[in-house]
Amino acid sequence: MIKKRWGLALVTAVVAGLALSGCSPSASEPKGPVTLNYWDFLDPSQANPRSKALKENIAKFEAANPDIKINLSVVSLGDMLNRLPQAAAAGQAPDVFKMFTPVVPQMASAGVYSPLPDAASKVTDWLRPTDTLAGPDGKPVAVPYEYRTCALYYNEKILNQIGATVPTTYDQVVEVAKKAAAAGYTGFGTGFSDTDNSAIISTFFNCFMSQVDQEIWNKDGQADFATAKGNEFGDFLAKLRDAKALGSNVVSDTYGTVADGMASGTVAMAVLGTERAVSFGSQNKDLKWTALPKASTGDTTGTTIGWTLGIGNGSKNTEAAWKFIEYMTGPEAGALMATGGEVPTRAATYQQPFFSTPEAKTVNDIAAYVKTNSEPRTYSNTWTALATGLSQAGQKLTLNGSSGNDFIRSAQDAANKK
Amino acid sequence: MVWLYVLPVSAVFLFVFVGPLIYTAWTALHETSYYQIGKFSGLNSFVRLFSDSDLPSRIWTTLVFSLGALVIALPAGLLSAIVLNNLHRFKRSVRSLFLLPWLMSQATAGTIWLWFLNPNYGPASAITKSLGFGPTDVFSTPTSALVAVTLMTAWWSYPQAMLLFLGALQTIPEELRESLKMDGGGIRHQFVNITLPYLRNTIVSVVVVLLMLYVQMVTIILVTTRGGPIGSTETLSMRVYNQMFDKFDLSGASATAILLFAVNIVLTLVAIRFRRKESL
Repeated sequence: MIKKRWGLALVTAVVAGLALSGCSPSASEPKGPVTLNYWDFLDPSQANPRSKALKENIAKFEAANPDIKINLSVVSLGDMLNRLPQAAAAGQAPDVFKMFTPVVPQMASAGVYSPLPDAASKVTDWLRPTDTLAGPDGKPVAVPYEYRTCALYYNEKILNQIGATVPTTYDQVVEVAKKAAAAGYTGFGTGFSDTDNSAIISTFFNCFMSQVDQEIWNKDGQADFATAKGNEFGDFLAKLRDAKALGSNVVSDTYGTVADGMASGTVAMAVLGTERAVSFGSQNKDLKWTALPKASTGDTTGTTIGWTLGIGNGSKNTEAAWKFIEYMTGPEAGALMATGGEVPTRAATYQQPFFSTPEAKTVNDIAAYVKTNSEPRTYSNTWTALATGLSQAGQKLTLNGSSGNDFIRSAQDAANKK
Repeated sequence: MVWLYVLPVSAVFLFVFVGPLIYTAWTALHETSYYQIGKFSGLNSFVRLFSDSDLPSRIWTTLVFSLGALVIALPAGLLSAIVLNNLHRFKRSVRSLFLLPWLMSQATAGTIWLWFLNPNYGPASAITKSLGFGPTDVFSTPTSALVAVTLMTAWWSYPQAMLLFLGALQTIPEELRESLKMDGGGIRHQFVNITLPYLRNTIVSVVVVLLMLYVQMVTIILVTTRGGPIGSTETLSMRVYNQMFDKFDLSGASATAILLFAVNIVLTLVAIRFRRKESL
């Protein structure tokens, strides 16, 4: 009996010892070869420049770190938003994943992230502040991988055809869009479909709220933008609708279909992310981009958005994961991704030889534009509900003829709906 | 010893049906934060569900979508099964052709239709434009969007009905048809007096199978409209998805899922009732 008790005590001690040792992050880091599970929306097997750059960056990282292998899973943003909270709850979150800036706090609230290691604080040359990429406890959970903000894209040929100059205020945008629509084009391209997580309308809204200096959430995390400043956005959309300047299928249009319309020359103007500048340049020589039109505040400063990298909750490879993130956001990888048209996030990257070449002009221009014409925003954990609310409010604006005020109120209510 | 035979199926039934059902009900009775279940909240989720002014329209959409798809897929399945059953040449090729929609995943089918009906570059638009009509803009208005997803779903699912009908048609004794012919009966008499009576129980089975499929259908709607515009294609199952993955409201989604289950049971019982009457 005594022997049995001693045996039980010994087993308990061993199990407790093992469990305690497992609680220590450094002790849990596996020695030897490590495979990092990495989720990205880009498919490296595709032939486009961004995918090629990603593939090459991963290969270079693996060559420089023979003990670390990258197991890439291609997951779209929509799927990531669904699957990450489930995976984290099941203890199966990827070691590293890419995430769109506005959704970082929401994913952090869902327990998807592991706080970044102390080594992350040693990187200080980010072009824009990173303190908004934090979890509910204020600890940093992600670092910027790629920057973008909003810009006004226009088709120079269409504007010349209708005898219009590039608009510099939103009222002028309505006027020019009306003329373009009368000439048979879509005057201003936007979309109210939420099949792509309402990407186009939520991105535009995000930038517009910065322009009019309107916070989206109050200190309690409640959406609180149905103000005179907020209404300016709804009024702009209502004016475009009344001028018949929106596309006939604006209700079902997405970021992709509007971009396709710009590229094919059927849309006169659109507010889209700066990441489109490079691809538009090669798709249609008539497409140009410029700063956002002035809002009533006279401001053209939008919101800094883009993609981030973070470490999944429960990752047993946090050191290796950070090593990978540091590489992917570092100068060498940054220069390579810039060849694919993406804007790197660290100042050190711009010292690379590529950025002194003529090929880098567009990326350099965009980087300078992002730096001078955008500010980071602090997000709440209701971004997806807000984005859907904006789409649905846009559908009502188009189909029910609701007012600009109704648009803003409806979107705010949707974001706050329990 | 009889219980030994019953045990495996009972275990599977408990594991894949009763367990998840109880867990769903349990979740609906608790507060949730993402996938974490919090404290007991009683019937709060159900109170929220039934006080939602959108709920009646979502139930209506579910019924219109499910019954609409059924009304199209059932005769289409029966007709194609009769055609196949009477074919003597190219039977395999035609059968493969008829089965084609069902061989695709719902996501693929939805994406293909999305491309086909795209108002800017879709082939359907090219056809309607060349005929002097405007572009096909089916997903931009509530009614046309609901009609479109209903038709797509019927198109995707009718081969399932066809296969079941084909199996049943092949059990009809040839002598019956020959006797009818000798008595001067035509194709219509054959269909009404032989085919339909023989297929009645199969029809009920097909109705049950398809109704359950439609009531729970998510993917085609998700790919094409995600429930829009203005919620016009948001069936109850799509609502469960949106609550879960858009609002991360696990408790609310569970309550809706219980309601969906109840709707499914009612529809299925109504369908089965016809079969039972016939059996008696």
